Amino acid sequence: MKSLRSRIRPEQLRELVLFLLIILLLLFFSTQIDNYLNARFFNRVTTSAAIIIVVAAGQTLVILTRNIDLSVGSIVGFTAYFVGHQLALNNGMDPWVAVLMAIGVGALMGGLNGLLVAYGGVPAIIVTLGTLAIYRTLLVEYSNAQTVLTSTLPEWLLNLPRAEIFSVGKMDFRLLVGLALLVIVIFQLLLMYSAYGRRLYAIGSNPDAAKIAGFASRRIVFTAFILCGALSGLAGFMFLARFGNITVVAGLGIELESVAAAVVGGVNIFGGSGTMIGAMLGAFLINILEQSLIRWFAISEFWRDFLLGFLILLAVASDTLIMNRLRSTWERRPLEKMDNETDSGSGPNRPTPSKGGDHVA
Amino acid sequence: MSRNLQRLKSWEGVLLLILVATIILNSTLAPSYLRVGNWINLFELSIEKIIVALAMTFIIINAEIDLSVASTMGLTAGVLAWLHMQGAPFPLAVIAALLMGVIAGAFNGFWIAYAGLPSLVVTLATMIMYRGGARILLEDRSIGEFPAWFSHLGQQPMVGPLPFALILFFALTILAIVVLHYSGFGRYVYVIGNNRDVAEYSGVKVRRVKMILFIVSGTAAALAGVLFAARLGAVRGDLANGFELDIITMVLLGGVSIFGGRGSMGGVLLSILIVLNLRNGMSLLNLTGHLQSGVIGVLLILSVLIPNMAAGVQGWLHRRRQAKIVHET
Amino acid sequence: MTTGQTPVMEIRHVFKRFDATQALDDVSLILYPGEVHALIGENGAGKSTLIKIMTGIHRPDQGELLLDDEPIEVHNSQEAQGYGIAAIYQEPMVFPDLNVAENIFISHRTFGPIVRWKQMYREAERILTQLDVKLDVRQPARGLTLAAQQAVEIAKAISLQVRVLIMDEPTASLSAHEVRQLFNIVDALKEQGVAILFIGHRLEEVFEIGDRITVLRDGKWISSTPRAQVTADAIIRDMVGRKVEDFFVKSQTESGERLLSVHGLGKEGVFQDINFDIHQGEVLGFAGLVGSRRTDVGLALFGIEQADEGQIIFDGQERKIGSPQQALDLGIAYMSEDRRKLGLVMPMSITTNISLPTLKNYLSSLGLIKHKDEMATAEHFREELTIRSPSVEVEVEKLSGGNQQKVMLSKWLNANPKLLILDEPTRGIDVGAKADVHHLVNDLAAQGIAIILISSDLPEVLAMSDRVLVMREGRQMGVFTRDEATQEVVMTAAMGQNHAKNQTVVETRA
Repeated sequence: MKSLRSRIRPEQLRELVLFLLIILLLLFFSTQIDNYLNARFFNRVTTSAAIIIVVAAGQTLVILTRNIDLSVGSIVGFTAYFVGHQLALNNGMDPWVAVLMAIGVGALMGGLNGLLVAYGGVPAIIVTLGTLAIYRTLLVEYSNAQTVLTSTLPEWLLNLPRAEIFSVGKMDFRLLVGLALLVIVIFQLLLMYSAYGRRLYAIGSNPDAAKIAGFASRRIVFTAFILCGALSGLAGFMFLARFGNITVVAGLGIELESVAAAVVGGVNIFGGSGTMIGAMLGAFLINILEQSLIRWFAISEFWRDFLLGFLILLAVASDTLIMNRLRSTWERRPLEKMDNETDSGSGPNRPTPSKGGDHVA
Repeated sequence: MSRNLQRLKSWEGVLLLILVATIILNSTLAPSYLRVGNWINLFELSIEKIIVALAMTFIIINAEIDLSVASTMGLTAGVLAWLHMQGAPFPLAVIAALLMGVIAGAFNGFWIAYAGLPSLVVTLATMIMYRGGARILLEDRSIGEFPAWFSHLGQQPMVGPLPFALILFFALTILAIVVLHYSGFGRYVYVIGNNRDVAEYSGVKVRRVKMILFIVSGTAAALAGVLFAARLGAVRGDLANGFELDIITMVLLGGVSIFGGRGSMGGVLLSILIVLNLRNGMSLLNLTGHLQSGVIGVLLILSVLIPNMAAGVQGWLHRRRQAKIVHET
Repeated sequence: MTTGQTPVMEIRHVFKRFDATQALDDVSLILYPGEVHALIGENGAGKSTLIKIMTGIHRPDQGELLLDDEPIEVHNSQEAQGYGIAAIYQEPMVFPDLNVAENIFISHRTFGPIVRWKQMYREAERILTQLDVKLDVRQPARGLTLAAQQAVEIAKAISLQVRVLIMDEPTASLSAHEVRQLFNIVDALKEQGVAILFIGHRLEEVFEIGDRITVLRDGKWISSTPRAQVTADAIIRDMVGRKVEDFFVKSQTESGERLLSVHGLGKEGVFQDINFDIHQGEVLGFAGLVGSRRTDVGLALFGIEQADEGQIIFDGQERKIGSPQQALDLGIAYMSEDRRKLGLVMPMSITTNISLPTLKNYLSSLGLIKHKDEMATAEHFREELTIRSPSVEVEVEKLSGGNQQKVMLSKWLNANPKLLILDEPTRGIDVGAKADVHHLVNDLAAQGIAIILISSDLPEVLAMSDRVLVMREGRQMGVFTRDEATQEVVMTAAMGQNHAKNQTVVETRA
């Protein structure tokens, strides 16, 4: 239990709250909808969340640095179409080549965003609002308003969404879901254990201090945008695999859903705090809500957007208004203790009693 | 004359040049271009956006942003159509729609001015919420069959060749110029945009100014939404989707600083003319609406990037000069 | 004591000029390893300019810096760090979301690519132990006290093998207990042979920690003395230097009716138990050092930071002042010490700035600005206060500091206040403008306006005030009449120095 207090912080507490919220939501809907918690529901939620999770992972990297990427939806759409088109032209293309192509195209688009934000000094909101339109235009121009049709795509791709790693009863653990979870695990490790990841937090935490600290903060912001683009590209590939038919409106609105997932998942919109796990939980919450509303007859499924917006506002307001207060009361305790320690003159290596323990229980 | 003012002047000069160039280009492309009818048409096609752009100019000079305007247009038009569908008297529906705009703006304003949340995040959230509100009301229906007078208002000329919306726009433009540049309120808008703390230390009611601005923005969006409904003759949940991009671009391209405190109505009007003419020219060239949005997106980025880079080069030159002076002494 | 050793760093005959002010005028300083060199002086003595030159933020006009007897040029703080020179400020630059250990190591090349947490925690604990600091290295920096944040920054400097550590008034916002902890750290650093330049403002602290004490005044080096040979009296004499007689002295005026009484005014954690009266036509000086919280009392009277206890009686009625508008309506105006951030809208014109608090008076019934009236007012003040500017439409950022100060004064005079609070009205302006401001204060008092003059310039306060209220760390140390208030008396009260014992006094808090 050593220094549990310092490990469990209000931010993590929020992930716990989010997890409980998901459970509550599931319990609530299971009283409202007959035969709610079945295998099909599980499969549907996990599959539809998978794409958002991957984009939200990228979005989280960018938001951690106190920026935002609103162009991810257009990147998803463009890469889905682009790779789909290439595969339609060349059915024999190696699957790995297709995946790498999607990631590469996405990285390129993210790179342009990053260049303008980190080196051009243009606010991220302006840049990505612009590229949101520009990348969509590229898609329209490139596609000539044509559609990629399922029938033109190679067999392996069409089978991909239903490919499963294992299944329990009728609950499938599908490959694309596994991929999304892999992304979360990798990037969670990146955030926890790499200097790069820690510096992402540092930049968002105090951009002024980051500028004079001894690391290349511009380059870090630039690469965060590249990674976000690359992950959006990967999501574009998943989008292609899942839907097959790709039109010019592919991926529309994903930017808002990814921001929502991250923010609802406890990623602070002002940077500096948040985790991949949180973003993933946020994505699940949103998708469960979405899939449940479709089946709930009390209100129409059209409530989705309204609730989504409300959730974002709630998350931000609670973060700013409540979390700040919570944090300060939380952190006052160790300070008092520090003073006491000095007074009692005890050794520096004395293990700290975990005063935070009672908060966790 | 101040350097900032000069830069602004020169920015407006650049805008004027671009405008003249587009006009010349357009008139060589299509002989019909310079006719009055085409110009009215050109305004009419974007009339709703430019009405909202007037309010957005105030908001951005105040160092805030409102991303929710297009969704507010959708929501208010949705309220109008829904009430009409429920059989409410139409004038009442119009009033209710405008009221909805006031409420939507006040909701934004509350969180921004009084709860202290950043406008970027608040209006991003309400952008989704208000659009959701429109969808809740209309689902996937398209609702039309408005009273004839209403459709007339949107589609027929009212005075001479001028339709109602255009006359309204001219009136609002004059009002906006007067308020921004000649009234005490306009002065407060600039002062707060430049330095909120100085304003507070000088007894300016900063929160109230911000609240009023967001209410005005919501109301302008409601007006635009209703006008759009009249012009289209039918309302769907996705009415005006994505318009915020065009609106913000018009304002920023007009030389209004995204960091607040700088810009003028004159610059914004010039940039509105440029954007309208560019779109018109691109249509004449048979370029799709999507390509046009792309071009606007490029313009949006450039309108911030170019002044930034200019400032960077200026700073670099200045530093070099300084270094030289120090070296010589 | 390690004097007699070779110096680590030497500053030789440094000059630095900013526009009208000679910030540094032939200053030299020698730093030895394992020695604490205390630097002391009034505001504007040139302390911060010296630090900025040592850390590469400014370059000297003349003179040189030597490290190990080699001349060096420092262009930015990163280069300074490369030479082993680091500075710690009052407000540390930490990353609040990262934990203590990360904050120490985040800038290190060896931090990555993979963070070895356990090793890092061990290393961080080792450094903190070395400094005798007890901090949980896993705790996020957010919510650490300033003292703890400073400790983290010091640990960071050590981890970067610092040789010269500059501490810029590090104790300004610390409690007595925290100061003790900091001094323990400084002792630990000394033992490791780090040369420390300690900029202080509390005399007893400087005596306690400094091995050698240097006094700067008006950008000039005045004295450097080993601690054993100095007395508090000598230091105060060196710091003050100038004589009151050098100043324009306020003419004696009959003070009128009592305008404001303050009883037991307090704000938790900021100031407490402030009591004073002020009459019409009276100038009440507020003296005290950095961190004495004089400004906060001013802000409470102007409604920006509301007091949470005590009574304000203005014009015979008890008032709660909740906002600047309310204060202005009552007739209280406050001129901020921070011209750029809180005083003037820099990119806007003189006219705009002057009419800002009183804009209502320049509006037509339709709410439009009567620009001619507004210009006439600005024009009036331009002549009255001799603001040097080609026109009143010029942006204030174009004006010199002194003229900006006059614009700010005009802005508040135009509000016709009964009580005018002036916060450091002559800081950073040239001699001529200073004299103008002094004359103006005199005239205003003669017109019956009550003035609270907050100033760190002691001779100024003494010359201009009818009475002087001295504050120290949020507490009122006394109110002295003009005859009682000598430089020594006020400075002694401001420093909390018991005049009888001038040896190191360990502060005890009430």
